[in-house]
Amino acid sequence: MSKKVIVGMSGGVDSSVAAFLLKKKGFEVECLFMKNWEDDEYCPAEEDYNDALQVCNSLNLPLHSVNFSREYQARVFADFLDEYRSGRTPNPDVFCNKEIKFKVFLDYALELGANFIVTGHYARIKHYGDRFHLLKGKDIKKDQSYFLYLLGQKELEHSLFPLGEMNKTEVRRLAKNAHLKTYKKKDSTGICFIGEQNFNQFLKKNIKPKPGDIITINGELTGSHDGLMYYTIGQRKGIGVGGGFGKKEAPWYVAEKDLVKNQLIIVQGNDHPALYSKTLKAVDLHWIHSIPKNGSNSITAKIRYRQNDQNCSLVFDKQNSVHVQFEKDQFAVTPGQSIVFYEGDECLGGGIIESRVCS
Amino acid sequence: MLYFDHSATTPIHPDVLKLLREIESSRFGNPSSSHHFGQQSRLCIEHSRKQVAKTLRCSTNEIIFTGGGTEANNLVLWNIMYQKNKHVITSSIEHPSVLNVLKRLTKFGVSSTIIPVDGNCRVDPDDVKRAITSETGLISIMFANNEVGTIQPISEIGKIAEENGIQFHSDTVQVPGKLSVDASKLKIDLMSFSAHKFYGPKGVGVLYVKKGIKLNSLIVGGGQEKNLRAGTENISGIAGMGLAMELAENNLKERTSHFIELTKLFKQKMKKICPRLLYNGHPDFLLPGVISATFPGVTNNFFIIKLDLQGIAVSSGSACSSGTVAPSHVLKAMKLSNDHNARTLRISFGQDNTEEDVCMLIEKLSEILKQHSM
Repeated sequence: MSKKVIVGMSGGVDSSVAAFLLKKKGFEVECLFMKNWEDDEYCPAEEDYNDALQVCNSLNLPLHSVNFSREYQARVFADFLDEYRSGRTPNPDVFCNKEIKFKVFLDYALELGANFIVTGHYARIKHYGDRFHLLKGKDIKKDQSYFLYLLGQKELEHSLFPLGEMNKTEVRRLAKNAHLKTYKKKDSTGICFIGEQNFNQFLKKNIKPKPGDIITINGELTGSHDGLMYYTIGQRKGIGVGGGFGKKEAPWYVAEKDLVKNQLIIVQGNDHPALYSKTLKAVDLHWIHSIPKNGSNSITAKIRYRQNDQNCSLVFDKQNSVHVQFEKDQFAVTPGQSIVFYEGDECLGGGIIESRVCS
Repeated sequence: MLYFDHSATTPIHPDVLKLLREIESSRFGNPSSSHHFGQQSRLCIEHSRKQVAKTLRCSTNEIIFTGGGTEANNLVLWNIMYQKNKHVITSSIEHPSVLNVLKRLTKFGVSSTIIPVDGNCRVDPDDVKRAITSETGLISIMFANNEVGTIQPISEIGKIAEENGIQFHSDTVQVPGKLSVDASKLKIDLMSFSAHKFYGPKGVGVLYVKKGIKLNSLIVGGGQEKNLRAGTENISGIAGMGLAMELAENNLKERTSHFIELTKLFKQKMKKICPRLLYNGHPDFLLPGVISATFPGVTNNFFIIKLDLQGIAVSSGSACSSGTVAPSHVLKAMKLSNDHNARTLRISFGQDNTEEDVCMLIEKLSEILKQHSM
């Protein structure tokens, strides 16, 4: 009997091709459309559902749909808002994968009798030495392992990423040749529930803004801000301070948020030392199969999606946290963002950036 | 029986009728249901959306299905309530589903400027430009008039609207099957269509909403049609409209040249029979197949009754819900006298009308003219 898989259909080209490939390989394929967000004003889900339905129809695959928006609200969105309230910059997509796609959806699919769930992620799963390993996608520009570092053994055991060995051009070509409706659909950008809305307006609707002062790192008052949540470390635009303020004509950058005083601290010039750090502390660590050795020197890290791998060494302390010492200065280390560790092509795991030590 | 009132409505195309029957008997699932039955219905709707989008050369995301042309016009106009700028520019020859809505909207603080037309029923784009104020939020000018067939300077008005950053809506109900509508080239933000004007079913229409234009629904409920038109979809009607629009676009050139031939024939023959016959509308910018003619001495009411008794259908202008002949606001707007107005007939050809049909019509018209002059 062939193995049964359930493909998480988003209505995009990647999951369409994932479904197509699994069907071609002879699996028993069913598809599932997840609606994770309810909003009166902004709902791209109808369009995505229509696309998913048309793709499934042309591949002659059954489509189920399910609403996980309650789970999303409770397990992802509530934390997202809390993080912003505490002045950090969270990465909800990482938690959506952990809590929704590879937990709620996975459990649901297993209950429906599936052996595996299938997604259109650009990453690879390998099984050797009795353990499951997560590897970067072959298409290094599209690699999504950064967003998957919170997966564990159970999740990898029951997941298939058929696009892991492919590049995006191939995926689109396959979709076109198979006459899938989504073959030229634009890649989704940004955070799924915000979509095309203005991010700051979205925040404003959900969190009460708390205006405060903008000061330079030397303590000079330069203006006022509408709320620290609108700013990210390293941000240049929207500070409302022109290059003319101060001695040099260089632009100003956000260096720090002082939550206690509700102050935004800015510095001039993108080479200002306050924007750089060589060391950071990460917490809430998670390892995909085993904890790397203390002081291991073959480890690299990404402190944001699409960053090149950065050489670093890890020093663990007693509470599930780690001090990461980088070889090179890192620009705009941002608390709340994920740091993900690699060894070559393999994603080892990661954690949340708690704080940084300025150079 | 001969039918020359295609601007009022058209008979349903046999292929469309076949499709309607098939769908009515097999696709009953609610498109919002997630099971197989619902999915099959949803697929019908999305297939139609593709057909419509292809015909109008736009994206499927820009197509909203409505309960007809009137509803599409209402949806656009009532949306002025949500806008900051509550002044609307329109023309004196619009359909009542535009003009009467604007009249109603005055109760809610919406003001409008109604642009006059010239003797050929055409709006002057400069008038539109002059009417723009800092409060203007919408320009609504029909693509082609339903009573005399004059085509409006839509490209120029579209340009003016774009330059001033004002939404531009056009009632395009009379256009499919007569002219091609290319949304990718026209500078129109919103367009209203009605299926029964192009051999589709009644009670179903389309609003084209250009990407980036934000609207709120007029009918509020379950959030169908991207939350712009609540209510369980009219599946067969929508599917029928998709096919009808595709068919209307096929052989468009042949069909329009057929309309032009029939019009030529009518005018040639009538010249001999009734030299004093006058034609209304623009000599160059005219929808093919629409004739508005003013007869000497005989009222349109008289013609309509006499022809109807012999199984021939023509009209005085737009179809009126009471079925009676009312003086036309369009002819009035063209500054034609009440007397002229009462002697004007509209003859609108359809794809099944033949030269023999036109000859028969002319024969009957000349009989009536003769009887009357005796």
